[in-house]
Amino acid sequence: MYFQIMEQIKRRIMVGDWAEGQPIPSIRQLAVDLEVSVITVKRAYYELEREGVIVTQPGKGSAVASSPGLGARLREQELEQHLEQASRIASQLGIPTKQLLGRLREAGDRVAEKDKELI
Amino acid sequence: MTSSVIGQLIVKDWRLNGNLISILVGVGLLALVMAQYATGEAVRLFGSVWFFVSLGILATMLPTSAILNERKKQTLAFIMSLPVSPVQYAMAKGLSVAAMYLVPWVTLLASALIFIETRHALPLGVIPTLLIISMLPMVGFCLTSATVLVGESEGWLIAANIATNSSYWFIWYLITRIPGLKQHWSGPVAVWNAPVLMVLSAEIGLCALIVAIAFFFQSRKRDFIH
Amino acid sequence: MTDFAVELSGVSKKYRYFTLDDVHLQLPQGQIMGLIGANGAGKSTTIRILMGLVHQDAGEVRVLGHRMPAQQVAAKWDIGFASEDMRLYETMTLSWHMSFIRSIYPKWDATYAQLLLKRFGLHAEQKIKGLSHGQRVKAALLLVLARKPKLLVLDEPTTGLDPVARHEILRELTAAMADEGRSILFSSHNTQDVEQISDQITFIDRGRIIDSMDKETYLDRWRRLRLEVPLGVELRPLPGIVGVQRQGRLAVATSNAFVPDLAHAYESAGVHVQRIENMTLEEIFVANVEHNREEVEA
Repeated sequence: MYFQIMEQIKRRIMVGDWAEGQPIPSIRQLAVDLEVSVITVKRAYYELEREGVIVTQPGKGSAVASSPGLGARLREQELEQHLEQASRIASQLGIPTKQLLGRLREAGDRVAEKDKELI
Repeated sequence: MTSSVIGQLIVKDWRLNGNLISILVGVGLLALVMAQYATGEAVRLFGSVWFFVSLGILATMLPTSAILNERKKQTLAFIMSLPVSPVQYAMAKGLSVAAMYLVPWVTLLASALIFIETRHALPLGVIPTLLIISMLPMVGFCLTSATVLVGESEGWLIAANIATNSSYWFIWYLITRIPGLKQHWSGPVAVWNAPVLMVLSAEIGLCALIVAIAFFFQSRKRDFIH
Repeated sequence: MTDFAVELSGVSKKYRYFTLDDVHLQLPQGQIMGLIGANGAGKSTTIRILMGLVHQDAGEVRVLGHRMPAQQVAAKWDIGFASEDMRLYETMTLSWHMSFIRSIYPKWDATYAQLLLKRFGLHAEQKIKGLSHGQRVKAALLLVLARKPKLLVLDEPTTGLDPVARHEILRELTAAMADEGRSILFSSHNTQDVEQISDQITFIDRGRIIDSMDKETYLDRWRRLRLEVPLGVELRPLPGIVGVQRQGRLAVATSNAFVPDLAHAYESAGVHVQRIENMTLEEIFVANVEHNREEVEA
């Protein structure tokens, strides 16, 4: 469950809601805001700190890590994850990588079509 | 702090049961008026009996309303979540229920005595016996309340009610047979002789004994809610 | 002296048709514990013993440092209790109940009480008998929440409530935890609620505690492994696996002590691991109870 909290926080950093170096709510405060257990948020913060996404100073609270380009890096990471997953599923289905590339191009075209419809 | 909790519990009981008491006091007073002012002998007799009966009914219904229902309607858990122990609860209950019975009992008895004194409806000699007989529902009330507090069920309440209500008349009969009582009924003066005082102390002593035994059993309970 | 809001050691209680056996339970101060169990598992009995309403046959019970039931009066000054089988006085209004509680507890927060009335959608002047089930539960909760007690003991606070009411209650419970000095112990058979707000989870079944530990660690230990068993390969039991279900060549193995080596062990035995999934608390609950009952019967 802490995983979902981690994703939520990363997302906020990715879209720029929380800027690099910006203080974030304390563990207890976030738990109240999200209506979840303190231990879940604690675990999420712990893991995020291990990944270098946030930093916690005893007595001062937590903040987004002030490494430049963090938001962009997180977006990269997410893309990597999706790509790896696509690759894994393709191999399970027995689809060779070359075909996968073609399918990716087709998928890109479909997305462009759908986006046009929305506008 | 604890005494204030007990105090609040007593006030709470009064709020909840006030209606019942008022109604029965009203009925009792009405019965007294009937006994005094009605013209037919039968009606006057009916009034006298009703006076006694309303005390008896109060002795039955008050334990039901104030004690049994708290357990049946499951408000007991609410009360026990407050900072009070089972023994303190019994104390608060005992005090409130005793007060709630005493008020109407004293009111009705006093009204009866006033009627006798001022209107001379009955010879003054009847007063000691009247007191003795009025004490019977009081004893019955103590027994019923104690039984339902300790016994915790409707079954116990019914048993206690049957026992007390069916013994009133028999005990009344026994009392009239006590030498030193009956002969002074029609006298112009209230006679407080030895037999009278003995019977009265026996009744009061019985009440005290019942209360003591109830507390003993209550304090030994291990499970307050099952 | 005490870091625990609630501490049960070796608590036992014997009834005619049910026995609570050797219960150990610890809730650190400032945390929420969810007590999960099927109906009749012993949740209510445990809670009643905790509140001093029932005297245990054996074992020690300490709540906020007070021994129960001997020091129950002292303890109950700081405990807010609400249970499913508790009723308020039908003929009286919610407002009367609020005054009644306020007259006993000096720490009553009238402002917060008004806020709760609004948030819960309750009318103070309404008589209890006119309230729906959900409203009664919320009324009882209001009466304990507005006192801001150090410990909240709630027996099935969300049972039988619609999703909106449940959300209102969970929101207030988590909000209460903003204060580090407050703790909550609640019982439920709604695993979603427990999963969402608990710091500690305790599983109880047939009068015995099966598991009791912090939630995230617990969720992390359980996995569902989707396996493919090729012909001719034997599916041998591995340590840490508590259950296996087979459907032809496919199998689902449930583990309560997952480590990555477990997947490797399968692979090296020739069994192909298709997927490793996390489990919801509900799935864990069912798997745990089944596993535990098998063990007891064995």
